[in-house]
Amino acid sequence: MAGRRIFDGKPVLEFSTGIQRRSFLKYAGLVGVGTSFAIGGGLLTAPAAFGSSAAIESSDLDILNYALTLEYLESDFYAMGLQAGLLSDRELELVTPIGDHEKEHVTAVTGAVTAFGGTPVAKPKITYPAGTFDSRESFLKNASMFEELGVTAYHGQVPLIKDPDVLASAASIAGVESRHAAVIATLIAGNPFPNPIEKNASMTDILAAVTPLIS
Amino acid sequence: MSRQDFVRGQMTQLSAPQALGALNNRWAYAAAGDFTSDIDVLNYALTLEYLEAAFYQQGNQAGLLDGVEKDYLATIQSDEEYHVKALTDTIVKLGGTPVAAPWVDFGGSFADRNSYLTTSVTFENVGVGAYLGAAGYIQDKSILQAAAGIFGVEARHAAVVANLLNLPAEGGVYKGAFETPIAKADVLAAVTPFLSQMSGGMPAGAPDTGGGSTAETGSGDTGLLIAGGAALLGAAAYAGHRINSRETAQDSQS
Repeated sequence: MAGRRIFDGKPVLEFSTGIQRRSFLKYAGLVGVGTSFAIGGGLLTAPAAFGSSAAIESSDLDILNYALTLEYLESDFYAMGLQAGLLSDRELELVTPIGDHEKEHVTAVTGAVTAFGGTPVAKPKITYPAGTFDSRESFLKNASMFEELGVTAYHGQVPLIKDPDVLASAASIAGVESRHAAVIATLIAGNPFPNPIEKNASMTDILAAVTPLIS
Repeated sequence: MSRQDFVRGQMTQLSAPQALGALNNRWAYAAAGDFTSDIDVLNYALTLEYLEAAFYQQGNQAGLLDGVEKDYLATIQSDEEYHVKALTDTIVKLGGTPVAAPWVDFGGSFADRNSYLTTSVTFENVGVGAYLGAAGYIQDKSILQAAAGIFGVEARHAAVVANLLNLPAEGGVYKGAFETPIAKADVLAAVTPFLSQMSGGMPAGAPDTGGGSTAETGSGDTGLLIAGGAALLGAAAYAGHRINSRETAQDSQS
């Protein structure tokens, strides 16, 4: 991740409570945030199973909450950037749905955590360095790094996710983040296809990128 | 009501289980028995990658593009060729037999820039859905990670080429907030028009898998991934690889 830190490595996440912060940090080590929902293998066999409190591995819940935190960050980032009115025409048309997607990801992942009997993390308090939304260039450059970071974050969790339904969910989101990353890259004359196979990054690396002072 | 309001309103009305359902494509096709092993899935993917690689080789040779478009499509071609090589190497390492390249006929796809790029978008989106639809069959986690890594790149291709065509952002460049899996039967139906009749079509079901089993091979050393990275073994030194010419591929089948 060296040289690709978002916001030049400045901290952007603040947690509303100490508990939130500790929980987030625990993800780095894949330590369970709770014990009450670690029951069974969690292989769901019917949609009806969603109605009841389906059990999955606590590590999967941790991964979902980790994803939720990143989606909160992305969603907030695009809301701020689009609100700033920096884009127009085709660029606006291309970026507006990205903001919508990130919002939908937040809603869906929140619902997934709840459906699996977990507690969704709260939205972190996010502080952007001055100038982030001052120009189209700054907005899109940070968007590009965010998206590439998100892609590697999801792919880093793929082999760690135990429940096939959680995996399906994460994969279906990851593909969309790849689309975002590629499109944003084309807007800033970046490389939309930096690798023939998506790279991946661990929670530790991602945390290092978004919360450098916490680690 | 703006689109954003509509989406927000729609999403807030969802119950948690519904939200999960929306989020979750599930492995709806995992019970269909389309694949019997990781090698089967890899050979299925290999056939699609052969098709894509041949498609871009022919399309890029047609000289329909200029500037950044030409560069993008050249990279896409090289990505697809990388996928072919990586999948082939992995199947061999698992003890399986890679399927041969199918005979292809892209008809009038290369008549002009528009037809080339339009067909490209179709191919890429089918590829995205195919990987997602087949991923649930993959047992080995490292293979799964690599397949997911290819899946993501196909999604990049689809979005960028769709944007070159100036397709609508939502519904063209993006296909919603979640990718949708495509079942094997539907993938086959989509690509069949591009398979030459002489080939007998897409290898049906399980090609010769050589009886390899990832479980027996050992998940820690399947040969697909270097742990912690997305570099495929055997493909790391791969550069500028060109699949054998179509003539060669066809000769090998005749």
